[in-house]
Amino acid sequence: MTLLSQYKEQYINQSIQFVVIDLDGKVLESDQTFITLKQGGFIYDVHPFFISYSSILDSTEDSMTYNCVHLGERDMELITDVRIIKKDNHLLLVIYDLTEHYVSYQRIAQARNESIINSELVVLKNMELEERERFKNAFIQNFSHELRNPLTSIISITNLLEKTNLDNEQHQMVDFLKESNTNLRLLLDDILSISMIASGRLQLRNKVFNLLKLLELIAFTYTSKTKGTSITFLMDHDKKIPEFIEGDRLRLFQVLTNLLDNAIKFTEKGTIALKVVLNQKRANKVSLRFEVNDTGIGIPSEKMNSVFESFTQLNEEGKKEGAGLGLSIVKGLVELMGSEIKAESKSGKGSSFYFDVTLTYAMNLASKPIGNTASKKVDITKLKGDRKYKVLLVEDDERTQMVLFKTLMDTNLFFIDLVNDGAMVFETVINNNYDIILMDVDLPNVSGDQITKLIRDFPFKNIKNIPIIGVTANVFEDNIDNYLKIGMNAVVPKPFDFNELLKAIVKLLK
Amino acid sequence: MQKSKKIVILGHFGVGKTSLIQRFVKDSFSDKYKVTIGVHITKKIVEVNENDSVSLIIWDLEGTDEVQMIRQAYLLGTHGVVFVFDVSRPSTFQNLNSDLKIVAEKTPDVPLIIVGNKIDLVIQDELQSLLKDNNIEANYLTSAKTGDAVNEMFTHLATLLNDLT
Repeated sequence: MTLLSQYKEQYINQSIQFVVIDLDGKVLESDQTFITLKQGGFIYDVHPFFISYSSILDSTEDSMTYNCVHLGERDMELITDVRIIKKDNHLLLVIYDLTEHYVSYQRIAQARNESIINSELVVLKNMELEERERFKNAFIQNFSHELRNPLTSIISITNLLEKTNLDNEQHQMVDFLKESNTNLRLLLDDILSISMIASGRLQLRNKVFNLLKLLELIAFTYTSKTKGTSITFLMDHDKKIPEFIEGDRLRLFQVLTNLLDNAIKFTEKGTIALKVVLNQKRANKVSLRFEVNDTGIGIPSEKMNSVFESFTQLNEEGKKEGAGLGLSIVKGLVELMGSEIKAESKSGKGSSFYFDVTLTYAMNLASKPIGNTASKKVDITKLKGDRKYKVLLVEDDERTQMVLFKTLMDTNLFFIDLVNDGAMVFETVINNNYDIILMDVDLPNVSGDQITKLIRDFPFKNIKNIPIIGVTANVFEDNIDNYLKIGMNAVVPKPFDFNELLKAIVKLLK
Repeated sequence: MQKSKKIVILGHFGVGKTSLIQRFVKDSFSDKYKVTIGVHITKKIVEVNENDSVSLIIWDLEGTDEVQMIRQAYLLGTHGVVFVFDVSRPSTFQNLNSDLKIVAEKTPDVPLIIVGNKIDLVIQDELQSLLKDNNIEANYLTSAKTGDAVNEMFTHLATLLNDLT
């Protein structure tokens, strides 16, 4: 035997078996390379695969190849290709042992299929979670809307109740009722915000606003809030931060007040501080860091990740009021602003929450002294004549009434009438000659925008053309545009700057 | 030689073809997924009535997401087809009706049984609307894991094939 034949014998012949069977499947000859077949026995008794031989007898084909056929038994793996060839009055079976090749192919197929199935399951799981989340948010949104109606009734009735003859004890109870109403309304607002953020329905309304004024307002609010407590409020902002920036004033306000309210909630004594740092200014972009620090109970490191989750409150035993939505809203809003809220804390020492946000900085406005005129004293000498002006103040909130009444009287320029019910306004306007009307929008019975429409539709010019300034907390751009469209001459948002209001009055009376 | 009938089990990979056979032939089940390559052939004698039985030669074919790619040799001489999909994985039944059409062309004139497997993984009510939404008419809804409807399905097919001869 030549060397080549020896190798062939060793490497090829050992993995190929030849079998000859008759047309009934009886084994005529076999070289017994790896399957032992009894001469004269039926081949299909060895393995059910071999019944296939009969299929080829019915076929027009002369030969047929079956790939990757498992002929092994129990633990012995034997994976083969089998070729069945028609001969004159018998069949030739050529069996190739390709176990090694197919085993490695199986491993590849295993990895491939597993990975496809797993990624499919991940996608399905995500879809299911998203669906659940969508359902949850839709439910919360509907539910909080539904709750708003009865709550509005409760608030109205409480207000009516307050005006009846009450003794001291009853007064206290009504005050408590009012406070609970306010808390419930704020809670509903929070729940609505969080579900709107989660469902992607909340969008930022960016426009140019005065950042310094916003900070002043916050400083004023929190200095008042902490007065008489063991907490001192501190405000520190970089002198170089731009006065006017483009952003969502309302949402920035919400983020900062939520952080500060959270700080107050978890600080018994010491300081809470709001810090605004200018990171950098480039072209018309400015990067600012807003930071709220407190000396409160702090957050244990293991709880650090969960503080931004909805409905989470750290200290569950000494649970503070609220649903734990404040920080979750902060997180969502800061993300909408393209940033990320971060927290650092030492248990028992206090916490620090901060985020960096890049905003467009309004250069053309910053260079103009617009922002300052508002806070400067308004030149009231511009008002012509030497008479006093008649002002109708339409406002149902007692505190606002008081503030407006007092400050307008202090100018010594105005006579002031006050109406606190929407239904009374029109009659009062017709029976008096007012120079200007300061109109709240959310009023009992008839709303301020409806009254404005009625006045503007009145046939006589002296009534029809009375200047009206909307003074309202409905500060969304859409609302303001709408108020101007229906005929208000100006809109001053609440909480208002008195000089700004006076400026608007002077401008319209001139 | 006993009367024998060849059936092939088809469907996408991972739908539980091997597990159904395992449950039917050995009455056992394993959660571990082992990919079948090529073809495994097993035999089971099925009693179709008191006096009659059929030797069912079950061809467990490698799963594929392309029905067109099934090797023609495997289908040669088959007497019946079982097409299995996984009720918990939409990709295995999204194109079911067009898959079935191809199968019917490849195996003309033989009974075809449509089986939705892994019903233990889905909620019954959802399953019904899922089938309706996808316009699927399954002959059997099975679970190889719990054994639900597995024997019934194979026995029904064996009886059907026996009656045809």
